[in-house]
Amino acid sequence: GQSYPGKPKIIRCRSLEKETFSCWWKPGSDGGLPTSYTLFYSKDSEEKIYECPDYRTSGPNSCYFGKNHTNPWTTYNITVMATNEIGSNSSDPQYVDVTSIVQPDAPVNLSLEAKTSASIRYLWAKWSPPPLADISSNSHVYHYELRLKPEEKEEWETISVGVQEQYKVTRLQAGVKYVVQVRCMFDLGEWSEWSSERWVQIPNGGSPPEKPTITKCRSPEKETFTCWWKPGSAGGHPTNYTLLYSKEGEEQVYECPDYRTAGPNSCYFNKKHTSFWTIYNITVRATNEMGSNVSDPHYVDVTYIVQPDPPVNVTLELKKPINRKPYLVLTWSPPPLADVRSGWLTLEYELRLKPEEGEEWETIFVGQQTQYKMFSLNPGKKYIVQIHCKPDHHGSWSEWSSEKYIQIPTDFRVKDMVVWIVVGVLSSLVCLIMSWTMVFKGYRMIAFILPPVPGPKIKGIDTHLLETGKSEELLSALGCHGFPPTSDCEELLIEYLEVEDSEDQQLMPSHDSSHPSKNAKMIPKETDSDSGRGSCDSPSLLSEKCRESHALPSRLQTQDIRDVQENKGGKGSWETQCIASEEKIFLFNNESTKSSTWPTAQLPNNQPPVFAYHSTTDAHKITLSTTNTNTAPALVGNEHQLQYPITETVHDDMEKQREVENLHSKTDQTTVQVKQNRPNGKPPFLNPKLMDYVEVHKVRQDEKPAVLLKHKENSGKTEKYIVPGTSKEYTKVSTVMDHNILVLMPDSRIQHTSVSQEPAMEISQNLQQGQDEKNMSYCLAVPSECKRETSGSEYMDPSSFMPSFK
Amino acid sequence: CHTSGMPTPNGKEYAQNIPREELTHLILKLLQAWKEPLSHFNQHIEHHQELPDDSLSKAKQISNMVHELKTGVEKSMGIISNSLNGMASSEATGLSISSEANMMSDSDFIHCFRRDSNKVQSYLKILKCRIMPENSC
Repeated sequence: GQSYPGKPKIIRCRSLEKETFSCWWKPGSDGGLPTSYTLFYSKDSEEKIYECPDYRTSGPNSCYFGKNHTNPWTTYNITVMATNEIGSNSSDPQYVDVTSIVQPDAPVNLSLEAKTSASIRYLWAKWSPPPLADISSNSHVYHYELRLKPEEKEEWETISVGVQEQYKVTRLQAGVKYVVQVRCMFDLGEWSEWSSERWVQIPNGGSPPEKPTITKCRSPEKETFTCWWKPGSAGGHPTNYTLLYSKEGEEQVYECPDYRTAGPNSCYFNKKHTSFWTIYNITVRATNEMGSNVSDPHYVDVTYIVQPDPPVNVTLELKKPINRKPYLVLTWSPPPLADVRSGWLTLEYELRLKPEEGEEWETIFVGQQTQYKMFSLNPGKKYIVQIHCKPDHHGSWSEWSSEKYIQIPTDFRVKDMVVWIVVGVLSSLVCLIMSWTMVFKGYRMIAFILPPVPGPKIKGIDTHLLETGKSEELLSALGCHGFPPTSDCEELLIEYLEVEDSEDQQLMPSHDSSHPSKNAKMIPKETDSDSGRGSCDSPSLLSEKCRESHALPSRLQTQDIRDVQENKGGKGSWETQCIASEEKIFLFNNESTKSSTWPTAQLPNNQPPVFAYHSTTDAHKITLSTTNTNTAPALVGNEHQLQYPITETVHDDMEKQREVENLHSKTDQTTVQVKQNRPNGKPPFLNPKLMDYVEVHKVRQDEKPAVLLKHKENSGKTEKYIVPGTSKEYTKVSTVMDHNILVLMPDSRIQHTSVSQEPAMEISQNLQQGQDEKNMSYCLAVPSECKRETSGSEYMDPSSFMPSFK
Repeated sequence: CHTSGMPTPNGKEYAQNIPREELTHLILKLLQAWKEPLSHFNQHIEHHQELPDDSLSKAKQISNMVHELKTGVEKSMGIISNSLNGMASSEATGLSISSEANMMSDSDFIHCFRRDSNKVQSYLKILKCRIMPENSC
């Protein structure tokens, strides 16, 4: 049937250069009747409608807008109307912006040229811009793009060219056929279509090879030699190498006689071709299809390039000579090729050695011999050894021979064993003997070997007490029991024993006065060092007593004091106190140069030892001072006091102080008569219970020398302690008479042998040193009974102060 | 080198094939050829201040050694009589050789001497092992 035409459709509008454009439409059905098409357009928003100016230029079903009708800055609204007899139909409107539809034609006249320059292959591509109707279009500037790919490949390589109309492609593979296309774009428009394809074949040409280099030439036995070279880059083609050489002084060039024997890239010169003491000029030429290249010349004199092979047949032998240490002999042979026998090649050897676990090699130059003796290897260890050699003249060292392991056998020599066995037996024997001795003899042996060091008998100062600062305790610690003397102290022994009559006389008067000061005066006179020591005071007694008490204090002061204090109440305190006092005394002595206060006191300085009951502290001072000034006797007094390890803290402080004062005042004097100040009749600080010794209270010279002792209740005990009066410290008491009178041994030279304590020893010494012994028998009497008959003794008669002896 | 003209065996086989006397003679000739040039050289380098003293003394030492070696070889080979004959000819050649030696540069001189001394050493060793093979040969 016939109907109105179908709706046309605008398929495309395109501008070539932005100055003209064309639109094409596709007709719809024609409805069976001839149809004509009309294109109408309007610009922007204008109402006016125009009709296509040119239906022909761009072909059928097209409309060409020329320059006059093209306005780049406007938007065209284009419709196409199809009309036939029955009716018409309009297409949908198409909005066209010229700027956006610009698409140039593809470039034309693409030409390709492959060139090789300096072994670089490149491709020259040239083209022309798309032709345009107007000549003015030549002023247009296009941007181009080029793409190429090897013919067989799928992927294109696209290169942006810019505004040039030619381009040089470099990265090309030789022998490949490439296909190339190019397209262009106008300003901001679209790219044109790709131009038609063009093909190009890249020529196959490689490059000549690179220069080879000769690396080294070596002769292993000084009869032949080999040279090796290193090829350069191949250049893409198989390369052939030839070695050429000439000899010094000859013009002729020879080629390598043997390329094979020594491996690839090598040349082996056999004996025939090897000359010595001539310089070879060697070069290597590399050749391929493209050309050839020659290495630098290499000059070599075979004499100097000898590098032998490593030595062989490395063997070890252990030699064990008699009477000497075994040693290893290492032997080897020169490398097989080297002709050492004819002397043509002389080799020197060097070996290196290290323990298996070691880090560093020890290198030993051996010389031309083929054996080496090794003496200094450690038994039992494993060693690695290697050898290498070099010609004795010019040449280089060979490689090291393969590692050889040495295991040194551990070698226990019989002699060593015997020595060790003997040593072991002897030491075990000694140990056995020692142990048996210990078991059987025990203590005695030990005592024999290591005699015990007797401790001093002096009770020293308890430092703790000092620190605490309690005077009473201090004083008690010092041994001044009952200082100031208390009633208990009365029982304490007399401090000192007057030995000398004459001396007594001197002393006695002073004694009467119960003032320490007076007593003090007395001090220097008496030489009786011993006086009044008697009982506890006497060091011998003290020592004895102390000995007996087995209370050898280990320490001077502290223990004593403590002991003393502890024993305040007990009878045993005597002993301890004795010890303590002894120790203290000794302590004093130590301070002075005298060994013990006792001796010092009893030194035959003819200074009346003044004994006073003072606190031990005072006594200390006294002793100190006196000893310093050679007035030991004074010390004695102190000692006496010391001797009275006055455990009793019950002192009369006053008395003490007084006495102390006296002491102090007299400290500078030789003999400080430490007088126990007991004006109040308090007993001296002697604690009878504590003291072992009985101090001689005073000596009565009138009838028979009698020593007044302050003794404790057990007067009997005092016997032992009396110091032989002779100016010496101690006197043995022979008997005790009634009235508590002690008769002292005539032989006043008591050796203090009683216990043979050290202090006693000293004392005895002093005795000997001292004055003549005086046969004195002392009357030891209870002070209460034996009045203070000082009989001229120097000693302060403590009894005078002590109302009574208990 | 001024001694290049001398025909000397260039390899082990050649050296081994030469009879003993000829080899000895060759050694002596070589040593003789160097006597003059060495002394001349020593005089020459004495004036060189750049050289350390060690070099000067070493050069002198070497000259002495060459002389002693020559004497030693002569004595050991018992060629005193021969040397008298040889001396005449060698002296003649020696003179010409010496003049040639004077033309050499120092480095060439040393190079030539090194080579010739090596030659002498090798020949002597071959001789030694030929005569006394038990001695470390």
